[in-house]
Amino acid sequence: MSSIAAPEAADVQAVTEQVWSSFLGDEEPLIPRFMEPGHPFDAEEVWSSAISIGGGWSGTVTVELSANLALELTRVMLALEAGDPISDEDLADAVGELVNMVGGNIKSLMPGPSVLTLPIVAAGRAAHASDAIEVARLDAVWAGEPVRVSVHTRASE
Amino acid sequence: MKALIIDDSRAMRSILRRIVAGLDFETFEAANGQEALDQLNDGLMPELCLVDWNMPVMDGYTFITSVRANQGWRNITLMMVTTESEQGQIVKALAAGAHEYVIKPFTPDAIVEKLEILGLVGRGIPA
Amino acid sequence: MGQESFQLIAAMVLRETSIIYDERKDYLVEARLHPLATQAGCASIDEYVRLVTINAEERRKAIDALTINETSWFRDNAPYQAFTETILPTLMANRTTRRHLSIWSAACSSGQEAYSIAMLLDQHLPAGWTAEIVATDVSTAMLTRVQKGRYSQVEMNRGLPATSLVKYFTRVGTEFEIIAPLREKVRTRHLNLADPAYPGIGTFDFILLRNVLIYFDQPTKHGILRRMHQHLAPDGYLLLGSSETTLDLPPDLNALWDREQLGRVQAHRPATSTPPRPITTAALAGA
Repeated sequence: MSSIAAPEAADVQAVTEQVWSSFLGDEEPLIPRFMEPGHPFDAEEVWSSAISIGGGWSGTVTVELSANLALELTRVMLALEAGDPISDEDLADAVGELVNMVGGNIKSLMPGPSVLTLPIVAAGRAAHASDAIEVARLDAVWAGEPVRVSVHTRASE
Repeated sequence: MKALIIDDSRAMRSILRRIVAGLDFETFEAANGQEALDQLNDGLMPELCLVDWNMPVMDGYTFITSVRANQGWRNITLMMVTTESEQGQIVKALAAGAHEYVIKPFTPDAIVEKLEILGLVGRGIPA
Repeated sequence: MGQESFQLIAAMVLRETSIIYDERKDYLVEARLHPLATQAGCASIDEYVRLVTINAEERRKAIDALTINETSWFRDNAPYQAFTETILPTLMANRTTRRHLSIWSAACSSGQEAYSIAMLLDQHLPAGWTAEIVATDVSTAMLTRVQKGRYSQVEMNRGLPATSLVKYFTRVGTEFEIIAPLREKVRTRHLNLADPAYPGIGTFDFILLRNVLIYFDQPTKHGILRRMHQHLAPDGYLLLGSSETTLDLPPDLNALWDREQLGRVQAHRPATSTPPRPITTAALAGA
């Protein structure tokens, strides 16, 4: 059985925490939580975003956020006032940049050289293909709202 | 002073704009290296460029080599702001002529301190 | 994590590092222990805390994770500029025979101060000269951090010129590690500044005592400054933090120190009306 190169759980957490605290501040920290493997992401309304890495290492980095968290993140990153309306494009820009930063950092950890795709953002939970293997996952809560960062590769890679 | 912020991410441009505007820079933006070069060719002379690496059309590395190849632009300070954090990438960027390098994610303090090193804000450290 | 677990951990951290985690910060403790718990195969933080109480290696790792402290490289800039422009040349001029410098980072925390000086020495100390940096702290966890010489990406962004990053560090996972030649220049030692004496610490040419006196009450602060005078060479330099002053010293302590302005930095030097002792061959023979 061949071993699959994968980022360390501690590194995924470190990367996510650093991205989080750098842009959302230290007052509300990112609190990791334990969830059983295979447990679906548990927010009613979800935004998700994925970015793929290809080259020396291939894989996909996915971020899922509750809709509330996605809205709050967007407000902070784009410096929108409390009353300002938030469009799908605003959400896509902010959530896309989040997965870009997490994915970019994970890319730097894995064998290179590799390239990043542009991020794809969608309203809804992420779904992974049957031949996708989860090699790392961080479940966490921020200001009471859930977030999940997962890394997948394919068996053939 | 003028700062040109070059990043394909609108969210990142927004974040950098706020940090740098707070330091009394007049800010300009470009979504890729080519757009940035077009602005320079149109006569924009920023004291500072904040340059992402991975961008469509023209990436930040190519933008930096283009700027440094042009004598007329030799006074522009070039600072990369990117997720590329491997040693080899940082060395490559500095060799191409980047003056400073910030790894994403960063806090506003980090940008301020780098600008201090560059002498664009406050005082620099000994060479 | 349960309250009992939290209190156990908080007590342990306080004992080892003097850092206080109050209950409002339990989320921070949980966040920092989580990856260690996962790596150790524990299903919960409470289970991991039980492991920590019986496993010395895990205890060390846990304390390490709980004493993360972000400070800048070349903090405040001016002191390091003063070192390169004035302090280093002046000290060197008076040590042309011995050609050795001893430097003390007296509350070294995670080591950025000590290694910043090490970088400047690498750049400015001529061949034929040696230097040693002693880094002390009351926290053994911090000293371990200094010995490891590893820093996160976020820490590396803080005040470190990129050219120094590539010259003096190698990447290890998400962290950067200082290269061996610089790590070897820094010697760590546990020391509590509030102790009445510092046996065996030696005499230094340059002492950095930055941003730590503020944590002590007046009498203790005065005691530290008296001891610093004993451990500083007659022509040596003592630097405090940028916003720290030594007003209101008792007259006898005040008389021990001269204040010298070096650019934007105020240095303390042992008060003396006689020039530095010349180095004699007899002294060298015995040294």
